[in-house]
Amino acid sequence: MASAVRTVRRQVRPILSIDQPEARSRVLNLYKAWYRQIPFIVQDYHIPKSVIQCRKKLREEFLKNAHVRDIRAIDLLVIKGQMELKETVEIWKQKGTLMNYFKETEEKKPTDFLSKFLSGHD
Amino acid sequence: MAGVLARCTRIPRRQLGLVGTFLNAQQPKTYSNAPPEGKKVGGNLSDEDRIFTNLYGRHDWRLKGSLQRGDWYKTKEILDKGADWIINEIKVSGLRGRGGAGFPSGMKWSFMNKPSDGRPKYLVVNADEGEPGTCKDREILRHDPHKLVEGCLIAGRAMGACAAYIYIRGEFYNEASNLQVAIAEAYQAGLIGKNSCGSGYDFDIFVQRGAGAYICGEETALIESIEGKQGKPRLKPPFPADVGLFGCPTTVTNVETVAVSPTICRRGGTWFASFGRPRNSGTKLYNISGHVNNPCTVEEEMSVPLKELIEKHAGGVIGGWDNLLGVIPGGSSTPIIPKTVCDEVLMDFDDLVRVQSSFGTAAVIVMNKQTDVIKAIARLISFYKHESCGQCTPCREGINWMYKIMWRFVEGNAEEHEIDMLWEISKQIELHTICALGDGAAWPVQGLIRHFRPEIESRIQKFKCVAAN
Amino acid sequence: MLRLPLIRAAGLSGCRLGATGLHTTASKLQAPPEQIEVFIDDIPVLVDPGTTVLQAAAKIGVEIPRFCYHERLAVAGNCRMCLVEIEKQIKPVAACAMPVMKGWRVKTNSDLTRKAREGVMEFLLVNHPLDCPICDQGGECDLQDQSMAFGNDRSRFVDINFSGKRAVEDKDVGPLIKTVMTRCIHCTRCIRFASEVAGVDDLGTTGRGSDMQVGTYVEKMFLSELSGNVIDLCPVGALTSKPYAFVARPWETRRTDSIDVLDAVGSNIVVSTRSGEVLRVLPRLNEEINEEWLSDKSRFACDGLKRQRLLTPMMKVDSKLQPVEWEDALVAASRALQQAPATKIAAVTGKLADAEALISLKDLFNKLGSETLATEQPFPKDGAGIDLRSSYIMNNKIAGIEEADVVVLIGTNPRFEAPLVNTRLRKSYLHREQTIALIGPEVDLTYEYEHLGDSAEVISQLKNGTHPFCATLKNAKAPLIILGAEQLGRSDGSKILAETQALAASLGKTVQAPENWKVLNVLHSNASQVAALDLGYGSSLAEIKAQNPQVLFLLGADDADIKREDFPNTFIIYLGSHGDQGACIADVVLPGAAYTEKNASYVNTEGRAQQTGTAVNPPGMARPDWKIIRALSEFIGVRLPYDTIHDVRGRLEQVAPHLVRYGDIEPANYFAQALELAKKTGSFASDPLELKQKTLDEFFMTDVVSRASPTMAKCVQAVIKQRQAQL
Repeated sequence: MASAVRTVRRQVRPILSIDQPEARSRVLNLYKAWYRQIPFIVQDYHIPKSVIQCRKKLREEFLKNAHVRDIRAIDLLVIKGQMELKETVEIWKQKGTLMNYFKETEEKKPTDFLSKFLSGHD
Repeated sequence: MAGVLARCTRIPRRQLGLVGTFLNAQQPKTYSNAPPEGKKVGGNLSDEDRIFTNLYGRHDWRLKGSLQRGDWYKTKEILDKGADWIINEIKVSGLRGRGGAGFPSGMKWSFMNKPSDGRPKYLVVNADEGEPGTCKDREILRHDPHKLVEGCLIAGRAMGACAAYIYIRGEFYNEASNLQVAIAEAYQAGLIGKNSCGSGYDFDIFVQRGAGAYICGEETALIESIEGKQGKPRLKPPFPADVGLFGCPTTVTNVETVAVSPTICRRGGTWFASFGRPRNSGTKLYNISGHVNNPCTVEEEMSVPLKELIEKHAGGVIGGWDNLLGVIPGGSSTPIIPKTVCDEVLMDFDDLVRVQSSFGTAAVIVMNKQTDVIKAIARLISFYKHESCGQCTPCREGINWMYKIMWRFVEGNAEEHEIDMLWEISKQIELHTICALGDGAAWPVQGLIRHFRPEIESRIQKFKCVAAN
Repeated sequence: MLRLPLIRAAGLSGCRLGATGLHTTASKLQAPPEQIEVFIDDIPVLVDPGTTVLQAAAKIGVEIPRFCYHERLAVAGNCRMCLVEIEKQIKPVAACAMPVMKGWRVKTNSDLTRKAREGVMEFLLVNHPLDCPICDQGGECDLQDQSMAFGNDRSRFVDINFSGKRAVEDKDVGPLIKTVMTRCIHCTRCIRFASEVAGVDDLGTTGRGSDMQVGTYVEKMFLSELSGNVIDLCPVGALTSKPYAFVARPWETRRTDSIDVLDAVGSNIVVSTRSGEVLRVLPRLNEEINEEWLSDKSRFACDGLKRQRLLTPMMKVDSKLQPVEWEDALVAASRALQQAPATKIAAVTGKLADAEALISLKDLFNKLGSETLATEQPFPKDGAGIDLRSSYIMNNKIAGIEEADVVVLIGTNPRFEAPLVNTRLRKSYLHREQTIALIGPEVDLTYEYEHLGDSAEVISQLKNGTHPFCATLKNAKAPLIILGAEQLGRSDGSKILAETQALAASLGKTVQAPENWKVLNVLHSNASQVAALDLGYGSSLAEIKAQNPQVLFLLGADDADIKREDFPNTFIIYLGSHGDQGACIADVVLPGAAYTEKNASYVNTEGRAQQTGTAVNPPGMARPDWKIIRALSEFIGVRLPYDTIHDVRGRLEQVAPHLVRYGDIEPANYFAQALELAKKTGSFASDPLELKQKTLDEFFMTDVVSRASPTMAKCVQAVIKQRQAQL
């Protein structure tokens, strides 16, 4: 029974980075790549957002994952980020897809009677 | 006459409900108590034993003439003897219903002879003689109507009925008018009506003419028809003895049954029982039609051999006895019997059941070898198809289907396995209907297939040959 | 019309036979009805004498197939599908008609039985067209089901190649019933229904044998207020619903149990819907109310739910109603209500208002300080008014009508005001020798009745014993008075009510009626009326007119005879489902839900609370009524304290607990007190009692739903056409 509760640090095979600093540098590199590309993206896609707004969103997206500590998870996120960047730069995406970054993720359902009534939600 | 249709009275006695048990408690003398031995064969009825002495209309049919023949003689004394005496006399006589079903009349009448619950009781006389081949009631109605009128009074007295309704076939115009005259005479002579025959018993007789539907000869359809509704048989139970005409206890009897009852009462039940074999006692009106030299209606003893009946009274089969093909012994709804059977069969209820046919109304239809028997039966089915009331499914749909098949058989335009199919269809109709018309339509077909199957098969073969060439 | 005259005939001759009496006369000789034992498939079962084989089998759950047999109709016994074998009997018997005898051993699944069934099924199919794919009965067809269960798997009807099947001309029997007479199997259920239940001897058979046809004897339409029921009764697709023809298959539809509100009977119904659309309405069994029948209006008016609907809130802009958003409409309505003084606001409720909306509206008005809430159909305020429930409900209940032996109808035509109450009356008339008398205009009630006159004075004469009919009433064992609610709206309504109460009380004293026998019954025609009175809608239209309100709130009130001219300066708010009279004169229109679109409570004329179910969602921006009132209250600033239907019902329970005891009836009492309080003075108005619905054409369109229904319009036209043709 005791073995079940014992926590072990397991040695796992790394994806790319072997330690925390290396992972961090990969993240920063990706960030910088995005940061530099943003003016061109704004221009190419003709989205109704300014460079400042986009950079703010960039920072927001990165900070969303700030809590991730697992190196393998960080690497995976970096890879996904790179793919995303590639797709964006090559204009494989469309304007609407890009604008999804700026969409509210959820609309709040009305809770009080009157707003439910007016919105038609039962 | 579709008393033949009343054949459903053959159902076991327990279906009659408590009425049946009520009666059995009395232990009356019935045909079943009669000794099993007795006459083996009937025939050669002597003139003094004839009941219908004016069958051929050679004498006066009105009151005067009938009084001379002995009608209305001591009727008052018979009435005074009471219902139980009359019923017992009928029971002793072993009289069985002459309408076709052959239900013991004494027992049937006694169903009515129970304490009244406040409702009036009615006697209904079935003079709707519509069965092809049958023409006995007609002779009574036009030549001896007073026998019927007197019979109504006596039967009515036995049942405690307050009135009799005579439902007469619409086509019988002259018969209805003769009957009406006879009733009027009887009323005028005080024989019926208030204080009938001075017996203190009030009894009325009404005549109702039908409109030409065979099904109205079925007892409950007849009641419906008198009530002014479509002539469609009612479900039984309740039997008419419980809920009949206008919702009151009613007995429906055949004309002949009623008409012989006064003579039975006068001459005694034992006299009547002395004719015929046991359980088939009495005399009977036979109608012989078809391929005979001298078609006739004749009164003869029960259990007379068929051959004797035809040879003696009808002048023999056209072309001689050997030219006989088959006989329908009891009106169109009974199964046909071939010559080999005709040779020795006796004309009574039991012997014809033995040969898988039925006594019916004793309307003998003779067919000699020039008859296309398939066509003859097909024609009968046409009649039943036309006369089916359409109320219940097997009769409405089944007879129509049989009709289609039968007429193809006439041509031969069919397959041999359809003969078996037709047999099965007729079995699907038989006993599954509300009234007995379905049975009456199924039996001729069954009789045909039973005895003349090779005929049908050869017809089919012949048609195939012609078609192939 | 097969067996019935027999019963009448028997009755005339002084001996009464019950409906079952016909089939039990044999056993009548037995004085004590002791139970007899029979065996169904060797299972012993104890039954009363006179029970048919079919009923005995049903007792132990053995279903015997049948076509012509129907529990509520006379036994015809003509389909022969129910043939079963009885041991020791050569002949199979028709289970539907044959009473069991002691010791019978019934075999419902023997070879003989099966063969008989197969034979009958084969015969039925011989002339039945195989057009199931285009038959509207497909999927709910008795013949289909039973041929699957009991039929043969192949056909030997070779004559199809020679002479084919029978074909019968279709008949035009009106705008409701589509006939395909070739499919008819002659079970005569429709004929028996028409003559026994509907009391219209229009249907019958003509011809004999295979030429027999079911139809109207002469070419005419089968017009009755109950004609739609023959569609349900028809076991095959011979009679189907015309408006529903080729619309849907039964397996595609969703069924919601609900309540009908087009009359005050509260018939139980099933609403069939498919993708948000009400397709048809069918009756649902409820022995206490509608048995299994449904009136034509309730059944066929459902297409009115799709027409003339109010889809968006509307407001009068430039003296024209224009669609607006909810906020705008509610703000406008609330502003009007806020600005008016409490004495200058009033509300009128219509026929179809549910209890939830009624309580919300009442609470709102009470919060605003007003008590001027009226029902469309007036109820006299004098005397006990609406305080004592006994004076406005049907105290004997609908089923109780059958127990009465003498019935006096006062100013009512139950045939059209409550067809399913009328079927009870007809049933008792036929089978129980009920004597029925009518005060009011002479109308055809489908049964014979004694017409006592059309003046209200007759009520007093009956009470005082000066009327010849009093002799009958005096000897009555269970007399019943049914007072039409319509008469209470007369100027002398209170007098009529008081006199009727007095008459009922005097009858109640003399009779040796069963315990709890109440004599007085009020028959309403509006589904909302009893709930409104229960909740205290005590004002009257006249009062409102006198008050000259600044704001008038119409809760679906379309039939109240409210004209714009009477309220020239009034701000009218209309809340309802259809664009009808009320919406026309309104300044603000709030679209509400119809009865199939909300879960709502209704109280029928007996005082029985029942609830409708939400079969579909309200169309467009329409909302359930109570929610609209609740939202309005928030806009006004007097928020009602309930947010969910449960909260509203909780409130209902506080006010009138019986309104949420669904299916039950809270019996009313205090008859004596009601009588005491009743107005003794006053006199009758001289004009005779009048009725709104006297003939069939007046029956079909009585409320917003049926007025919007094209089917109902066709019915009215058909009736008028037929009447003109007969003249």
